[in-house]
Amino acid sequence: MPDLRVSGLTKRFGATPVLDDVSFSVGKGQFVTLLGPSGCGKTTTLLSIAGLETPEGGSISCGQVRFFDAAAKIQLPAESRNVGIVFQTYAIWPHMTVADNVGFPLRIRRRSRAEIRSRVEEVLDLVELGGYGGRYPYQLSGGQQQRVALARALAHPPDLLLLDEPFSNLDAKLRERARVWFRALQRTLNLTTVFVTHDQDEALSMSDRILVMDAGRIAQQGTPEEVYRLPATAFVADFVGQCNLVEAVVRRVGDGTLVAGGAGVEFSVALDPSRFAVGARVTLAIRPEDVHLESPAGRNGEVNRFPARLASTSFFGDHFRSEVLVGDLRLAVLSRSRPAGAPIAVEIDPGTISVLGPPVSRSGG
Amino acid sequence: MTATNLATASVGRVRVAARPRAARVSQAAVWVVAVGLVVFPLAPIVYSSFLSKPFYLPGSTFTLDAYATLFADPAYWRAAGNSLVFASLMTAIAVPTGTAFAVLCHRTDMPLASWYGRLLLAPIVIPPLGLIVGWFVLYGDGGYLTQIVHRALHLPPWQLSSIPGMAVLGAAVATPIAYVTCRAALEGRDTALEEAASSLGAGPMSVLLSITVPMLRPAILNCAVLIFALGLEVLGIPLLLGGPSNIDMYASYLYKAWTSGFTPDPPSVSAGALILLLAVTTLLLVRAALLGSERRFGGVGARGGRPARRLTLGRWRHPVAIAGGAYIAMTSLVPLLGLVVMSLVTELTILVPPWHLATAGNWVQVLTDPRFQRSILDSVVIGLAGAGLTVILVALATLIANRSDFPLRTLLGPALVYPRAVPGIVLGIGFFWGFLFVDLPGGALRNSLVGELIALSVRSSTLAYVVIYPAVVRINVELDRAARASGAGWWTTVRLVLLPMLRPALVAAFVLMFVAMVSDYDPVVFLQKPGTEVMGVTMLHLWTKGVVGSVAALAVVQLAIVAVVISAAWRTLGRALHA
Repeated sequence: MPDLRVSGLTKRFGATPVLDDVSFSVGKGQFVTLLGPSGCGKTTTLLSIAGLETPEGGSISCGQVRFFDAAAKIQLPAESRNVGIVFQTYAIWPHMTVADNVGFPLRIRRRSRAEIRSRVEEVLDLVELGGYGGRYPYQLSGGQQQRVALARALAHPPDLLLLDEPFSNLDAKLRERARVWFRALQRTLNLTTVFVTHDQDEALSMSDRILVMDAGRIAQQGTPEEVYRLPATAFVADFVGQCNLVEAVVRRVGDGTLVAGGAGVEFSVALDPSRFAVGARVTLAIRPEDVHLESPAGRNGEVNRFPARLASTSFFGDHFRSEVLVGDLRLAVLSRSRPAGAPIAVEIDPGTISVLGPPVSRSGG
Repeated sequence: MTATNLATASVGRVRVAARPRAARVSQAAVWVVAVGLVVFPLAPIVYSSFLSKPFYLPGSTFTLDAYATLFADPAYWRAAGNSLVFASLMTAIAVPTGTAFAVLCHRTDMPLASWYGRLLLAPIVIPPLGLIVGWFVLYGDGGYLTQIVHRALHLPPWQLSSIPGMAVLGAAVATPIAYVTCRAALEGRDTALEEAASSLGAGPMSVLLSITVPMLRPAILNCAVLIFALGLEVLGIPLLLGGPSNIDMYASYLYKAWTSGFTPDPPSVSAGALILLLAVTTLLLVRAALLGSERRFGGVGARGGRPARRLTLGRWRHPVAIAGGAYIAMTSLVPLLGLVVMSLVTELTILVPPWHLATAGNWVQVLTDPRFQRSILDSVVIGLAGAGLTVILVALATLIANRSDFPLRTLLGPALVYPRAVPGIVLGIGFFWGFLFVDLPGGALRNSLVGELIALSVRSSTLAYVVIYPAVVRINVELDRAARASGAGWWTTVRLVLLPMLRPALVAAFVLMFVAMVSDYDPVVFLQKPGTEVMGVTMLHLWTKGVVGSVAALAVVQLAIVAVVISAAWRTLGRALHA
């Protein structure tokens, strides 16, 4: 049974839709990520769940509690929703000590001093800040501040944890560690969590499920692997990971394969060909790491093997990123070793190419 | 929130969910008080200016007679003309002076620049009546320095009581406004703009003249409009200095028409006040538009983190510093000295050395006469209570305007800015009418300090707003969102999170308001009754009787109160900022 259910959220700013029929649900203890570029509506969705933004249409409920229902004119105020939220800026109150910050939700709920003290200690231990209760926020590092914000969100055990890019202000090394640490904690506490980020690495490595948002809509939802391997739209393919997008036309459909040509190159793709008609315009999505560089000699004429020229190569430490030209088609390629100079050949496994674009059923009209 | 909403919430949430409605009601209460206090004095002016007689007299009809009477009076046109000349001269002197100081203090290597920068702000906190008295005893037509220069150099004496003479004094008071505006424009600017010109081969002087000063144009225009508007409403200068030459300006004309007219409370004064209000409002709307365009230009480029490279003045360094220092000394420091000396002598004249005329009489009178003691006490009480209450009201109103979803919140900002745009004397007339309209039993507002407190508080509330508003905007919205998500309602968030974070701004706003209210007088000249005078009004009364020495002593008391409060606040604020 889903713990959080969001359905049909809409909101516009003037003529521009900010949220356009956003619907999803999150199961108990699940970690769901809203991923998208800035302005895609992910933070607005999160704030709507928290009650800090008011959508114009749709409904939000958590467990048995209706948070928001436009039709029934229900808008439960933010302070009554019992959600924990960690903001991008952490939003730790500078005039309060760490213990006062963390104890705030309990103080609001009129808990006894003793109860507040013991709970604050417990939560600070949980986020590995035991003994820091007396400090002021300015005496803490960025990573510690982030954990104070998390402790405050957890202090009065929330029904729902909301995270708005909480790792984006940490430096790269710390961010990596914080992700792993936080995901383990979230699993231990079995917290239903909605996470907002524009960082695809974060989304892919942490989530049970990813919702990719674009211009106020959910472009695709699925597990990290599904979203990465089988992107539903060119936007998703391009935003989640890097991708070569090739405009093509379906030339032939055959036994479990489809051949599509674009920019003078014909690619074979392994998939259920009945979904596409000959002549249909499609976009082929090819991940740079699925393009293999080969020496030009050898098994020429094999499937998806093309002679190519090397245009440029950049070094990124653990990999090389090159641009190659197959005829007029420019492809990005990732490789472990530095590609030998021109001429070369590229080879692409037909199973790794995604076909985006109008399947038969929809393109008929 | 609606009842259905509560029904759907689980039992534990109902108590919490009841809060928003209470919050909405109390927000509405703050809104009504804040907006009401601005509308309250202005509406009666409009109304009474279209009546044939004061509204409390029977048989009053709607008519334009008040305007006809006003326009038929040649003295009105003379006063209006004088005000225009005065305001123009004052602007023409203050703006170049303030701009020059801003450039000299912040873009050149003039010695003592940072000290000059601080001293230039002094006229903002010096009680204006004290400064006028100081000028009068030194530079007045029979003033000490006037006589010295006249006798020693055989030059014809200058006339402080002439319009140009008064404009020089007005300019000295207004120079800080030009200085502060231009300084802000200089500090907010990316110094790379000037460095780019240097790197293209421009010498320091041509950078100054071709980049720095031209780029100040929006700021110069903006402060010129403000200073001109202030010049139109000046009351104290013509009232105290214009006497000998019988020169009236707009505000002093209204004051005299009101206090010495044949009919009491003449509608023509309301008409005149309304015209002044419209003129000043129009000017300040023009200024607001200019301010918008200045921001557009100012926003280009990153804010300069580095201090600007300063222009080397070379052999002009010391002469310029001496000239600047002389200006500051002659306009504010020496007059204050003159004020203190005046309070200790029976008369200040070059014919007899001051120590032969020394007397403690002025001080004895000020410190022992119960009327003066009460006037001092009243001023302090009004200042403390008014500043305290206003700061709380303005803080809440600012938070409602910027940090709530109260439906009419956008009206609050303009309502808090507008009082300062209303000429003090106009506000005074408005409150006079307003208090008559809502005639509380026993004239509780008309005949007590409470009415004066309200008028002075409303007049200075803008000062609190200009300090508190930027501080509110600087607080990241996520800080209050975090409190809401933690379970705090709107008022709890305000009380536990926002107000504590605003504490330094609240203290600063309190001090600024207190200083302004202790020194202010023009909104209450029509409200005071015997027994409820504040210091400024007492000084005006004494002045008309020609008792200069006691006025000087009272002005020194005013100055001392201001100095004590500012230095105390300085220390408190310093501590608050450390914590």
